[in-house]
Amino acid sequence: MIVLDRVSKQFAGKRQVTALHEVSLTINKGDMVSIVGPSGSGKSTLLNLVGGLDRPSSGAVHIDGEALAGLTDDGLTRVRRDKIGFIFQFFNLLPTLSSLENVGLPLHLRGWSRSKVDARSRELLQLVQLGQRLTHLPEELSGGERQRVAIARALSIYPPILLADEPTGNLDSRTGAEILALIQDLHTRLGSTVVIVTHDMTVAERCSRTIALKDGHVVEDVRR
Amino acid sequence: MMLLRLISWPYFRKHILRTLLTTAGIVLGVAVFVGMHTANQSVLFAFNHTVDQIAGKTELQITAGETGFNEEVLETVQGAATVAVAVPAIEAVVDTGIAGAGSLLVLGTDMTGDRSLRDYDLEEGDDAVIDDPLVFLAQADSLILTKLFADAHGIATGSQLALGTAMGERRFTVRGIMASSGLASAFGGNLAVMDIYAAQKMFGRGRTFDRIDLSVREGRTIAEAQTELRTLLGPGFQVDAPANRGQQFEAMTAAYGMMINISSLFALFIGMFIIYNAFSIAVTQRRSEIGILRALGATRGQIRALFLGESAITGLVGSAAGVLVGLVLARGIAVTIGALMRDVYGVAQRADDIASDPLVLVGALLIGVTTSIIAALIPARQAAAVDPVQALQKGKYQVLSAGESRVRAVAAVVLAAISVACLFTSQSRLVFYVGYALVVVMVLLLGPLLSLGLSRLLRPVLRFMRPVEGALAADSLIQTPRRTSASVAAVMLSLALVVAFGGMARASYDSIIVWMDGALNPDLFIAPSQDIVIRTLRFPPEMAGELEQIDGIARVQAVRNARIVYRGTPVMIVATDTLSLSETVHATPVAGDPSTMWRETHEGRGVILSDNLAELQRLTLGDLFEIDAPHGVIRVPIVGVVVDYSDQQGTILMDRTLFEHYWHDDTINVFRVYLQPWAQVPDVKARVLERYAGQRQVFVLTNRELKDYILRVTDQWFSLSSVQIAVAVLVAILGIVNTLTVSITDRRRELGVLQAVGGLRAQIRRTIWMEALTIGLLGLILGLAFGAVNLYYILQIVHHDIAGMRLDYVFPYRVALYLIPTMLGSAFVAALWPAESAVRGSLVEALEYE
Repeated sequence: MIVLDRVSKQFAGKRQVTALHEVSLTINKGDMVSIVGPSGSGKSTLLNLVGGLDRPSSGAVHIDGEALAGLTDDGLTRVRRDKIGFIFQFFNLLPTLSSLENVGLPLHLRGWSRSKVDARSRELLQLVQLGQRLTHLPEELSGGERQRVAIARALSIYPPILLADEPTGNLDSRTGAEILALIQDLHTRLGSTVVIVTHDMTVAERCSRTIALKDGHVVEDVRR
Repeated sequence: MMLLRLISWPYFRKHILRTLLTTAGIVLGVAVFVGMHTANQSVLFAFNHTVDQIAGKTELQITAGETGFNEEVLETVQGAATVAVAVPAIEAVVDTGIAGAGSLLVLGTDMTGDRSLRDYDLEEGDDAVIDDPLVFLAQADSLILTKLFADAHGIATGSQLALGTAMGERRFTVRGIMASSGLASAFGGNLAVMDIYAAQKMFGRGRTFDRIDLSVREGRTIAEAQTELRTLLGPGFQVDAPANRGQQFEAMTAAYGMMINISSLFALFIGMFIIYNAFSIAVTQRRSEIGILRALGATRGQIRALFLGESAITGLVGSAAGVLVGLVLARGIAVTIGALMRDVYGVAQRADDIASDPLVLVGALLIGVTTSIIAALIPARQAAAVDPVQALQKGKYQVLSAGESRVRAVAAVVLAAISVACLFTSQSRLVFYVGYALVVVMVLLLGPLLSLGLSRLLRPVLRFMRPVEGALAADSLIQTPRRTSASVAAVMLSLALVVAFGGMARASYDSIIVWMDGALNPDLFIAPSQDIVIRTLRFPPEMAGELEQIDGIARVQAVRNARIVYRGTPVMIVATDTLSLSETVHATPVAGDPSTMWRETHEGRGVILSDNLAELQRLTLGDLFEIDAPHGVIRVPIVGVVVDYSDQQGTILMDRTLFEHYWHDDTINVFRVYLQPWAQVPDVKARVLERYAGQRQVFVLTNRELKDYILRVTDQWFSLSSVQIAVAVLVAILGIVNTLTVSITDRRRELGVLQAVGGLRAQIRRTIWMEALTIGLLGLILGLAFGAVNLYYILQIVHHDIAGMRLDYVFPYRVALYLIPTMLGSAFVAALWPAESAVRGSLVEALEYE
């Protein structure tokens, strides 16, 4: 379960910008939630705070009952490592690593044995229907295939939470639909909590719940 | 200019650290150049200053090398129609026994005529002291000191000062103190003046003078006087302006100058790579900025000019800072060079002030700026070639160097073939140096290919060691060969320099030890000065017989050595009983028949040359050798060539009878003493010291002491190159830091992803460390390989152009072994800060970084 309690985030600069203003919300285990809003509404900031990539200026974030506020950087990393999978708009695959190596990266970081990493990575790539692209480098893959590798990497430890930041934003509509279908399928099959940040209302409408943000405030919370 | 202000300045400000690191490359290169040259210049300037101040109004000086000449020459000179005043002079460097005072330069001169050439400007004491020649004549213990020296050591007129003379320690009375200007500023103020005849006696000169200082008669020109005096005196004398001594000093230290030039060149070259690296990366990183500029109408020429302008400004700022740092360094280096000059060349010199030659400083600025611009030429060309459409597409990297590798490889093979041809098809030195330059260029061309290939080879190893960190470190290097190769090249060049100097040092030590074992085998060496290379104090010839009478001494070889000018270069004459020498020295000649050459030399029918003199002067066995001596021209064949390291510019070995005949000089610099088999070295040493106690200044060195002294001087010679090597290594480390800093910026998103998917800080650090260690390892492998080739060329240069020393090629394994932990350790240290910066940035910004 993800809980945000009066979370605010300000960015200091020549003038201070408030990205989130005392946002409180709860996302239940196994939910598939979309977060929508115009540019600058704070949706990516919210995702970063949930994923432990950033720290709130005030308020608290709890993941499965664990407060992120008191954790060190390495503590946050461990939370991400054990509980969260990320899917980015620009895939963020390491360009020098093959599909297999990219997927195996979080597992190696956890200290898994080579054979175990290899077996899991193959299994995941099969799962995202890329069993025939194991040794390809990201530049040798299409946009959709890259996002599939990114999804496989995010799933490498079958995390309880999957965070996706505009997962279809860099893809054409047909490939975007395929990726979304894949995420939905995985959500159903694996039972993960999925949080998707998106501009695209067709994507948002495929989720059981949609939270709308505007100027750092939750302005709408629709459950289907 | 506008583009520089609008585009470059904000970029520099945003990347202040990287800009500083880039500039530091040039700062160090220029600082080494300025430091070394200024220190060298300062010592030379101090020497010239001493010569100038001592020369006073002297227009011409007459010398016969270091050997001096008989008193009668003075009469001949004074009788010349073109000469107004001619004054004899003797110079000797002596110890004062005052702690921290250093050596004192004693000028012995004839006070009666000398005041028209030199102004003593007495501050204390009676001017009558020098106006009345009888004061000094009648009181041979009289001395005039400088105010600087007197004040520093609490000496006043009437005080007594003990000096080490050939007669042993003697007490002198200070009759006057010179004001601290003009003559008194010579030799850093450590100057004393005494009567010439007293000096002859005190410094064992017999009835000879070291030189004659003269002024030309009014209405006659210096050229006329030179012509007349050369005709009157013959070819054995040098009649030159005082400034000529500075040129000889420079010629004598040419080997050192050459070493400085080679090292400075390497330092600048390495600095160039750091600039190249930084600009090359900047072009990659700023491609979108370049794309925007191009889209807005900037021409390719403007883009090129923008980058070249940036490099020129970087070069100018770096050079200016380098000049300042160099001037600070120069002070410390000048002290070391001064000591080196004294110990290696026997020319005592103090460089208390730094003489900054405007030409060197302007030259350094120009070299720095030019180096920087040259380094940025290729990146600027690539920047101009950026395609605006591709550059503006997010995530699209334009391949800027496609097809370059093939061209590089082909060019390298062609250059390799030409350089090999240069080595084997021509004897010309120019062709040799062209070949050497081509080898350097070839290695630099091959550098990126080799580092790429080695990185690929190392990837599985690194991946095996650490599946994530190792693979990422290797991939970072493989992915950006240009970024890596410049740093690797910087490390490679500096290590190639270290290996070459290390190899040269080792070969020199080996050769010197072999020579010492063969040639320096007497049990004792007896000299009038504790510095065996200082030849201003000498023994009388009768001392040889006296020594032979001492119990335990079996054989005494009297040696007179002195520098003379041969073909414009100061070389060393070693005159001794060559037959006796042949019976004791165990050395195989390089050329000549050992069964006849010593006898022919003994009979005055030939001379034996040192190998280095023969090489440097392009002389071979059988050539007619001509030496202009004060009493005629010696024309004898070269009957032998032997290995001898007595002097860097070379040695002429002749029999003492021949020397005495042509120089009318029977004084001795050193006695080589062999003991009876039953005699004990300490006992005989004590007996010698006892025999001359209170009569003569005698220093007795055992065989081990002399050899240690020579090895110490050899160490000193190489110690300066160690400083240069340290700087070169520092520049290389700077290159690694620079590369890693850029690498981390480049890979910010990659490292962010790594952290986002679960990479702990320690894992990120390890990735950076492994990358640094791999750069160090690549530099090490290539540096040792290129160093092996470089060593060959350096040994050839030493043999043919610097010292004439024939040094065996031996790869310095010990140096190489020492370099492995040094370089890997340095690479690791270089990575510490970049690794920390990699784990401390904002993760969100890193993930959004493009």
